[in-house]
Amino acid sequence: MDEFAPLDCLLPSGKQRICLIILNQLVDEQYFHVLWSKAKIRACADGGANHLYRLTEGRRDSFLPDYINGDFDSILPEVKAFYTEKNCKMMKTPDQDLTDFTKCLAIMLEEIKAQKLQIDTIVTLGGLGGRFDQIMATVETLFHAQKMTDLPVVVIQDRSLAVLLQEGRQHHLNVNTGLEGKWCSLVPVGSPCLTTTSGLKWNLDNQVLAFGQLVSTSNTYEDHDPKEGRKPVKVTTDKPLLWSMGIKPQ
Amino acid sequence: MDEFAPLDCLLPSAKIRACADGGANHLYRLTEGRRDSFLPDYINGDFDSILPEVKAFYTEKNCKMMKTPDQDLTDFTKCLAIMLEEIKAQKLQIDTIVTLGGLGGRFDQIMATVETLFHAQKMTDLPVVVIQDRSLAVLLQEGRQHHLNVNTGLEGKWCSLVPVGSPCLTTTSGLKWNLDNQVLAFGQLVSTSNTYEDHDPKEGRKPVKVTTDKPLLWSMGIKPQ
Repeated sequence: MDEFAPLDCLLPSGKQRICLIILNQLVDEQYFHVLWSKAKIRACADGGANHLYRLTEGRRDSFLPDYINGDFDSILPEVKAFYTEKNCKMMKTPDQDLTDFTKCLAIMLEEIKAQKLQIDTIVTLGGLGGRFDQIMATVETLFHAQKMTDLPVVVIQDRSLAVLLQEGRQHHLNVNTGLEGKWCSLVPVGSPCLTTTSGLKWNLDNQVLAFGQLVSTSNTYEDHDPKEGRKPVKVTTDKPLLWSMGIKPQ
Repeated sequence: MDEFAPLDCLLPSAKIRACADGGANHLYRLTEGRRDSFLPDYINGDFDSILPEVKAFYTEKNCKMMKTPDQDLTDFTKCLAIMLEEIKAQKLQIDTIVTLGGLGGRFDQIMATVETLFHAQKMTDLPVVVIQDRSLAVLLQEGRQHHLNVNTGLEGKWCSLVPVGSPCLTTTSGLKWNLDNQVLAFGQLVSTSNTYEDHDPKEGRKPVKVTTDKPLLWSMGIKPQ
């Protein structure tokens, strides 16, 4: 990750080449269309297919996922029948130790390799709302993802985006797409993180972020000359650190 | 905490009721037509979320309006601090502080809720429970054995133990997938979509027992009514 613009994926004119995973949460229609049209591979994890099915009523044939994976305990029978009949790859992945999201991601990475695609980012719709343990499971998948790939895995739901920043390198986050909302945040989810930042209103200077000590939420970007645009937010951390940010309402 | 039933609080009735800033908007909307019967004891916050008409209404009804502009602490944390002072001032016997909201919406605010639960452990021994939609979360302290009574009849199917903040050396019983002196840690093992061990319907569930060496976040589903 040299300079990475988390919200580039939502820009119709964005440069990142993406793949799309749809999880079992209400899908924002506006984001859906931008992401679907740009994605080189599109997949649903189990009940994500229900949301796709409902959202694309009347023109479902134009929105067929490349595959749907899962235990198939959330996907509705009529939805499963529909996509099966349309020859979408239905991949039953019953491993009890891994979530549907993790398994979907694993398949996605194999597909990228098999098709020899150049991909910059894997974008996930859903995962940050609903059942609280499933929100935590989404974050756990982001940790696993770091062992599976160097590609950033971004998660978007409602007006929040989350991405896990790896330890041991300086991240440059481009926050000038015009889609940035006001708030941003750095959360040491799995362990304390020795952190340095610039470009934020409240920066960290080789400080420890840790639950019960200091967690950065409701942060924002440093003031900037409107003619110039924001400087990148720079972050270094010694442990994986969860960046999240608000998306401007359209 | 000897035996603690997290969902017991969904039965009556609160001794002190408060809103943190925009919480007052939801109270106002929810109680339309009978607002006088649902007046909070106090409303605190920066007052940047509460709507002007809502603020005016509760001010006029003589609810304590407590502006708490400290930028380093969230409205929730400040509300909790005031709650603990009120409990002390009124010499009340309280078992649990229950919070409605905090587990959905803006993602950083969900994380801030969890951070408040960590701060709460330094502020009080009382359990602070957070409920939204059909999820409940409570932070289990390190260094003691927790006995969670999960027999209120309101328990949903799922439960979870998440080591937010640091790895936790954990032992449990009463779950379908128990931990036996194992480390829960992000990137290693996190217990989500767990459930309760099978039990004889005539007998009810045994308590879920949990020990941990660091604060460990328990969450559970609430049965749809």
